[in-house]
Amino acid sequence: MWRDRVNKSQQFLMRVAISFAAVACIVFLGSFEARSFGAGGEKAMPSYAAELPAGPMQAKATTTCTECHEARILLQQRLSKAAWTKEVDKMTKWGALVDPADREALIDYLSSNFSPDKPPYEPQRTAVGSRKSAK
Amino acid sequence: MSSRREFLKQISAAGLVAGTVPLTVTSAFAQGKRVPFPGEDGMVLRSFRFIDLESPVEYFNTWLTPVPHFFVRNHMHEPSEIDAATWQLSIGGKVDKPLTLDLAALAKMETHSVVNTVECAGNGRGLFRPQAAGIQWGKGAVGTARFSGPRLRDVLQRAGIKPTGKHVMSRGNDDIPGKVPPFIRSIPIEKALDADTLIATHMNGAPLTKHHGFPARVLVPGWVGSASCKWLAEIKVLDAEFVGNFMNPGYRLPNQPVKPGEAVKPEDTHPVTALGVKSVISGPGDGTTVKTGRVSVHGAAWAGEANIVKVDISIDGGGNWIPAKLGHEQSHYAWRMWSYEWKAVKPGNYTLQSRATDSQGRTQPATPVWNPSGYLYNAVDEVKVHVA
Repeated sequence: MWRDRVNKSQQFLMRVAISFAAVACIVFLGSFEARSFGAGGEKAMPSYAAELPAGPMQAKATTTCTECHEARILLQQRLSKAAWTKEVDKMTKWGALVDPADREALIDYLSSNFSPDKPPYEPQRTAVGSRKSAK
Repeated sequence: MSSRREFLKQISAAGLVAGTVPLTVTSAFAQGKRVPFPGEDGMVLRSFRFIDLESPVEYFNTWLTPVPHFFVRNHMHEPSEIDAATWQLSIGGKVDKPLTLDLAALAKMETHSVVNTVECAGNGRGLFRPQAAGIQWGKGAVGTARFSGPRLRDVLQRAGIKPTGKHVMSRGNDDIPGKVPPFIRSIPIEKALDADTLIATHMNGAPLTKHHGFPARVLVPGWVGSASCKWLAEIKVLDAEFVGNFMNPGYRLPNQPVKPGEAVKPEDTHPVTALGVKSVISGPGDGTTVKTGRVSVHGAAWAGEANIVKVDISIDGGGNWIPAKLGHEQSHYAWRMWSYEWKAVKPGNYTLQSRATDSQGRTQPATPVWNPSGYLYNAVDEVKVHVA
């Protein structure tokens, strides 16, 4: 499914992690923990962001929406065209760069891909054991 | 109070321990779609950026939720820099003596602990029809922890609240993207002065983790999670409710019941505050098969500022109700664990339900109370189980 797709570099990273789990684990955790309390915060985390579905507006929607948040926030919505219109206008007010000429096409793209009749989004889970569980 | 250095030491120690258990990590990767997220174990990934993580309901089998299993709800990017050594909290507005406190000053104040069930206002949003825009939480944007730190009222009284002070707003250090309004909300002065409202620095006995608001957050017990501002930077006493997106139009409920999908006028709404009465079945899991014999039906029930009085269980889709046994661990704002030993004699398909009742006489409704933003979902919980 498109929504479960990860890009090639992420797939490669996952293969590396599987092959060298012990080493990779220490290195990865070390770098993440160091960064998470320093510059960059969550933006410096390795990206496991999802992708938006193919379509004429995929590239523009990706640029516009994922400037601030990742695609999963869109993928999980099941909204009517009226509700998507409200969201697009709200986000534009909040700084999303939507060319007025693209507004209709963006609303169509979102409301056709993420409409109430679509099957529910199946979220992924985070890995277990990335750090010892603290009780 | 732990210094930043001590805190980092704890973190790196945890990392080294994880490094010694590569087999666990390998098996997690082998499950294919699992996303590495240090410190957040097996959580449902609602969003990677901003971070929104949900607890799977099967985790609700301990009274205190371990931090790696505790839901995370962020509206913005987490602060990029948090230095406990230079962190400061300012207290101002309608006060006689504006103050600035650092972590050492907070640590010198009397510490109070509250075991509180924190629930996101939008928990269960994904279960409403029609769906509302927002994070499509299932049942797990809720968790219970022991929060510790000075009382908010002690800090406010040190600054001296003017008679005109009626509301208290809190602002966090969230990194705000674009022209998004800052995530600022306010609570009435009465709730701010409640002996159990805290400036929490610790969660389950350890310093707050970054995802939970390090180094300090507000903790408004019994109220929706959004009242409990993370990465606290500023507290301001106001003469009226804070005016901003996350007070209005955000976080509001209709004054009167509305039909699903019906539009509500802004003037016919009020802010969402305390949580409703609610229960969740954590086991057996929805859609699972169990063997005939004794089956433990169990879960958690909570009621915001009220106490759980009883939880009733139905194994026939709501025809008959039997009281569950309530767990012995309890605290004013914390959920009660509950369990019922079901003698599943006959193979077949069953609909198990749980329905909580609280000390205010509230009972979970049979159908969801729909509202335009999808807040406070609390319908009777239900799982389908096959007995073989």
